[in-house]
Amino acid sequence: MSMNISGISSLGQIKTDVAAPSASDGGNSFKNILNNAIGEVESTRSAAAKSVEQFLSGNGEDLHSTILATQRAELEFQMFMQVRNKVVSAYQEIMKMQM
Amino acid sequence: MSLLSALSISASGMSAQRQRTELLVENLANSDTTRTPEGGPYRRKDAVFVSDPSASQFSSLFESEMGSGSGVRVSEVITDKRDPEKRYLPGHPDADKDGYVAYPRMNPAEDMVDLLGASRGYQANVSAVSAVKDMIQRSLDLFR
Amino acid sequence: MFQGLALNSEHYMSLLSARQKLVASNIANADTPGYHTQDINFQTEFENALGSHTPTVIEPEGLTVKPDGNNVNIDREARLLAENALRFSIASNFARAELNSVKTAIQEGKSV
Repeated sequence: MSMNISGISSLGQIKTDVAAPSASDGGNSFKNILNNAIGEVESTRSAAAKSVEQFLSGNGEDLHSTILATQRAELEFQMFMQVRNKVVSAYQEIMKMQM
Repeated sequence: MSLLSALSISASGMSAQRQRTELLVENLANSDTTRTPEGGPYRRKDAVFVSDPSASQFSSLFESEMGSGSGVRVSEVITDKRDPEKRYLPGHPDADKDGYVAYPRMNPAEDMVDLLGASRGYQANVSAVSAVKDMIQRSLDLFR
Repeated sequence: MFQGLALNSEHYMSLLSARQKLVASNIANADTPGYHTQDINFQTEFENALGSHTPTVIEPEGLTVKPDGNNVNIDREARLLAENALRFSIASNFARAELNSVKTAIQEGKSV
């Protein structure tokens, strides 16, 4: 099972970004990371919602497909929460250092 | 959704075999009935099975057009039109002026064998329901 | 990121569901005059990775045709019924294992 846990590996980027002099550069990278994560959450969420709708309206969607779609969306969201928490705490650390 | 369609297909199978069983039992019970309300001796009945695409009510229109599975139904009940069997029994209350009584044209041995077939057919559909239910439950297990 | 998670298992399960529906149809029509056994070419459909299209219904060969035109072999259908259900169970276990390992990885990440 190979999964690309790109959310966590992108946190490596934060460390190199911290080396940059201004807080605003760090903020942009954080923003990009979060925006990308939000985008992924939204796309799996809407795929899951569509799958549920297809199943309920009897349009040939299988039950297991719908359940897997909702589970993927759930995992995507949990991942996003982890990324968000890491980003927030990294940002707070940077702000402390700036003082 | 395939699995839910499969359930209604199997249900139609059970229903058809049950109707077939009822007719066979009626035949066997009436193998010596010389007098019926309609007049004359009992006449054998047979169920005619035909495929029924509409039985898979959970399938999308697309699915049923592709010929992916169909249920079954009894399209009609055929009553035996052959002449009854005449037996010479002058003392019988239903004897005609020549002393002949009209008896149903039957083959009880054949009907008994058919009855076994209908029972097996019914059971096979029950097994199908069980297997499909198991798959649906496994799908639900994906929730954890 | 997780769009492809358990996708192979999902595809496998979809094909098994479609096949099981045809088995149910064959069993229901085991005594229907003129009815021909329906099936899908499982191997081909699975290798053909497009999971979203409905598999093509085919008529398997080598089945004896009875006098009334029906060629359903109840032993074959009973075997497939059990086989499909078992394979489905195995595939759903694989899918669940994939989901759980990702869930664990995410939760382990909390304490890092």
